[in-house]
Amino acid sequence: MHQALPGSPSTAGGSGGIMFKMVSENPVIVIGTRGCCMCHVVQKLLQGLGVNPPVYEVDEGDQSDVAQELSRKIVGGGDDGGVQFPAVFVGGKYLGGLEKVMAKHISGELVPILKDAGALWL
Amino acid sequence: MNSASPQFVSSRRMSVFDPIHQISMWGEGFKSNGNLSASMPLIDEADMKLDSQSEDASHGILGAPNKYDQEANKPTDKIQRRLAQNREAARKSRLRKKAYVQQLESSRLKLMQLEQELERARQQGMYIGGGLDSNHLGFAGSVNSGITTFEMEYGHWVNEQNRQITELRTALNAHIGDIELRILVDVMMNHYAEIFRMKSAAAKADVFYVMSGMWKTTAERFFLWIGGFRPSELLKVLGPLIEPLTDQQRLDIYNLGQSCQQAEDALSQGMDKLRQTLADSVAAGQLMEGTYIPQMTSAMENLEVLVSFVNQADHLRQETLQQMSRTLTIRQAARCLLALGEYFQRLRALSSLWSNRPREPA
Repeated sequence: MHQALPGSPSTAGGSGGIMFKMVSENPVIVIGTRGCCMCHVVQKLLQGLGVNPPVYEVDEGDQSDVAQELSRKIVGGGDDGGVQFPAVFVGGKYLGGLEKVMAKHISGELVPILKDAGALWL
Repeated sequence: MNSASPQFVSSRRMSVFDPIHQISMWGEGFKSNGNLSASMPLIDEADMKLDSQSEDASHGILGAPNKYDQEANKPTDKIQRRLAQNREAARKSRLRKKAYVQQLESSRLKLMQLEQELERARQQGMYIGGGLDSNHLGFAGSVNSGITTFEMEYGHWVNEQNRQITELRTALNAHIGDIELRILVDVMMNHYAEIFRMKSAAAKADVFYVMSGMWKTTAERFFLWIGGFRPSELLKVLGPLIEPLTDQQRLDIYNLGQSCQQAEDALSQGMDKLRQTLADSVAAGQLMEGTYIPQMTSAMENLEVLVSFVNQADHLRQETLQQMSRTLTIRQAARCLLALGEYFQRLRALSSLWSNRPREPA
């Protein structure tokens, strides 16, 4: 399975394509700031459920640009307050930030969503 | 027995013939019922000389006073009287001083006891007027208005919580209808939402204060996990208290506990990473001069993340409560909230009992 991938030096412009490609190709992917502890939390949560998502790391300075790109192209602008980092994408769609993901897990919705996207079996 | 000194003869005689006058001269100093010999212990050494002859007076059998003797004794009488009055005044003054000193001593003791209690209360996180002990470093009460506000509001919150718990208990015992019960449940759920909002504001003011659970009592702090209770632990405690449950409910609660545990573990691992990062940034550049300050900046940034952790942990607690209420019937939810409220009341009571327990005198 995938391990954490280093983000490329320039972000939104050059690697934008790679990033979107990864979002559409992976059942689950986490996009977060490099070295962010909250990103680590989301990663550990998903790993604890048996999912080992790739983590696409973004440099701190590029955060807002990347968030905007993601908002426009994937989330579709109709989201509540835009993309929060760390951002979790399931089945090519934006699921939410850490808070949303934990809420979905507590309510029991997360595991079915992951299964539907093919990120979990059994 | 008999004092050989002639100067006391007249006094002796005087005392025989005028016992009432003698008694009134000594005045309130007598604790006895006027028996001169019994009053001996009250008179201190300076008075011993004159006093010793009083003993004789009650025993002495003297003849009728000579008229001449009485007249000749008059000027000396006055002097003796005055001397005795002075002695009495001096004695009273000494007694008053003694009483005053005793009062000072006991006040001092009381003050020490109060200071100890204050210290204990402070450690339990209660807000005491910060100005009382200016040497107390690093305690929020003295400088941080955000924390001062929080502590004051928390006091109100606890009082309101106690009131709601009593109301809920009464309502359940009275078997009120589901509709009224739902109102009480909603009120209590909103009240919990309120404390989480308060904590969020307090975390912005002083995240370490919130992380350390400083406003909580000692027993509550024993169970502390990221600034509050651990949801999965609480579910384990409450589960048996809200029986009877359906099998499905029991399964749902079990699953909820598992989800909580998983979320808690993830947050705990995030905290470990943060501690590592922080330790690294504090330690970095230690052997090199001039690089100290930049490292502190990154350390400071790491600490900002703590606010997020507190918020996420509180959010987890909130979500758990809400999921519980979704799983349970209204009556079960009411019993659950009652059990939860009482549990924390007991923890607080335990803290009080513990801090007030009798200790071996030093």
